[in-house]
Amino acid sequence: MADEKLITCEEAFRRLQDYLDRELAEHETEEVNRHLAVCEWCASEYRFERSVIEQVRNKLQGARPPEDLMSRISASLQGEGE
Amino acid sequence: MPDGTSQRQFESLLAPLVGSAFGVALRLTGNRDDAEDLVQEASLLAFRAFGSFAPGTNFKAWFFKILTNRFYQWCRKHRREPEIASVEDAPEIYLYTQTRKAGLHEGGGDPAELVLGKLDEEQVGAAIASLPDDFRVAATLYFMEQLSYQEIADILECPVGTIRSRLHRGRRILQKALWEIAVANGIVEPGEAEE
Repeated sequence: MADEKLITCEEAFRRLQDYLDRELAEHETEEVNRHLAVCEWCASEYRFERSVIEQVRNKLQGARPPEDLMSRISASLQGEGE
Repeated sequence: MPDGTSQRQFESLLAPLVGSAFGVALRLTGNRDDAEDLVQEASLLAFRAFGSFAPGTNFKAWFFKILTNRFYQWCRKHRREPEIASVEDAPEIYLYTQTRKAGLHEGGGDPAELVLGKLDEEQVGAAIASLPDDFRVAATLYFMEQLSYQEIADILECPVGTIRSRLHRGRRILQKALWEIAVANGIVEPGEAEE
């Protein structure tokens, strides 16, 4: 590759949220990955932020709808057709 | 007027995502009763508009658009107490900074898990519920459905840049809310005095 200059910690920090959301362009992601491979401080921040997202997701997934919700919806739609 | 055939078609599309819709509605409204009402009302509205749905396109996105619009109407009827987290007072990587100050990055474990692992679903839900409405909607779709910025933007009919901003700022506010809940419940002791 012609240019594998490492990005700075400041730049890695600036890209943190987009990186976590997989919204960076491929080359930008690769630049972040190269930085994280050599900068433990930034890698620690990235790991932590990713873990926060995963922890929050896991906690929020537990809600179950009432078992009869779909049947109640169906009954209310039935009234629409009459 | 929708007929029996269209009702069956509609329900065949809706049934697989009723669980997801309820989960999103629960995080938006903050309680099960209102979440059930929201999903039922959105389902009725969607059914009435089913003629405008283009077969083969993304029913989930179409339905969630109706659900979130109905939620915004719900917000106007249920003006919340001004106990809403501030969008201003939420620095970057807030939780990372606080857990460092509290010494949770020593010892080799996952410091995020040390805090968030001890919060229950209700407490995390309360943190989401404390977000201002626009941030809460974007954050809920992001965390619950793992949608991209573009997918959320399509549902909320907002520019992608707006969604990106709401998610980034919303997560900062959320982190502060989670920390405050953890401190209030004795899960963590704050480290140095907060600035």
